[in-house]
Amino acid sequence: MSAGESEYRIARFRDRLAREDTAELGVRVEVRGEAVLLTGTVPTAAGRDEILRIAEVELGGIPVRHDLLVACADPPDRPEELL
Amino acid sequence: MTATGERNGAMVRVAAVGDIHLSPDCRGLLRPSFETLPLCADLLLLAGDLTRHGTVPEAEVVAAEVRDLGVPVVAVLGNHDYHSEQEADVTRVLSDAGVTVLEGESVILPVGGAKVGVAGVKGFCGGFAGRSAGEFGEREMKEFVRTTRRGAEGLHRALAGLADGDCGARIALTHFAPVPDTLAGEPVEIYPFLGSYLLAEAIDEAGADLALHGHAHLGTEHGMTAGGVRVRNVAQPVIRKAFALYHLPLARPGERRGESRETVTRTSA
Repeated sequence: MSAGESEYRIARFRDRLAREDTAELGVRVEVRGEAVLLTGTVPTAAGRDEILRIAEVELGGIPVRHDLLVACADPPDRPEELL
Repeated sequence: MTATGERNGAMVRVAAVGDIHLSPDCRGLLRPSFETLPLCADLLLLAGDLTRHGTVPEAEVVAAEVRDLGVPVVAVLGNHDYHSEQEADVTRVLSDAGVTVLEGESVILPVGGAKVGVAGVKGFCGGFAGRSAGEFGEREMKEFVRTTRRGAEGLHRALAGLADGDCGARIALTHFAPVPDTLAGEPVEIYPFLGSYLLAEAIDEAGADLALHGHAHLGTEHGMTAGGVRVRNVAQPVIRKAFALYHLPLARPGERRGESRETVTRTSA
């Protein structure tokens, strides 16, 4: 596969993430050597799984690595004092 | 703050979060944390992108998370909340749950015998000083920039309206970013889609003690306007908590902080 072709496939993948049920615009998609790296924080584990499923469909044949976090829903342990 | 979470001194305890992107599959996700708010905060500010697609069922999930929390809840909407072109319905659902939804408006809340003013607007993109879109050329381009300008004017009006309210603190609440500082971590190429310097100009000219925004998930929490107003990006992926908590000093009536800032801004503008 040419570098140009994978570039357009990555663009289509990003477009699907935004358009489809995931409505995800906060995931960074970058080419790292031969692979594509997905990073960012998503609201739920199910949302992360859906993103990886779409990646498999759109980027099939390109190795996909991810470091996607699920947002923490815990309260903060301390305030920031704005003096 | 004391060990039991009570206030000791003239300050307002501001809880804030944006970009929670709720939908029916995350019902109840934030509620347990939000229920701790009466112990640690005087108000909760929501910085937009509360839903995923801006639908009524999603807004109902948000409403259930924040209804009857025991602290006032003030929100602006974000671009996701506009996606289904049902922003009026989203606003209505949130308002019915007791949320004050601001769009170019302000609200004054009583806090410990003082008043706290919140001016809010969604805002829009366009970029930052020296690297921004101009109101020139095609109708679509001009309308794009005018949208940004109208949002900033709404924020200016709302903040200026608070100036006579004898508020101990004034907070500017937006979804889009007023400064590039809090975008660090986002690709520089997309900064123009993440905020506009016109929001910061409005904040500096009209005066505020704190500016809160969301939208930039990969950005950073801390920034400052050219006029010296502290900016915090409270997008949930950035703060990595259910909400961030800020203790903001309250000025005594007639002793407003930040008045000199206004002068500095005008000189440098």
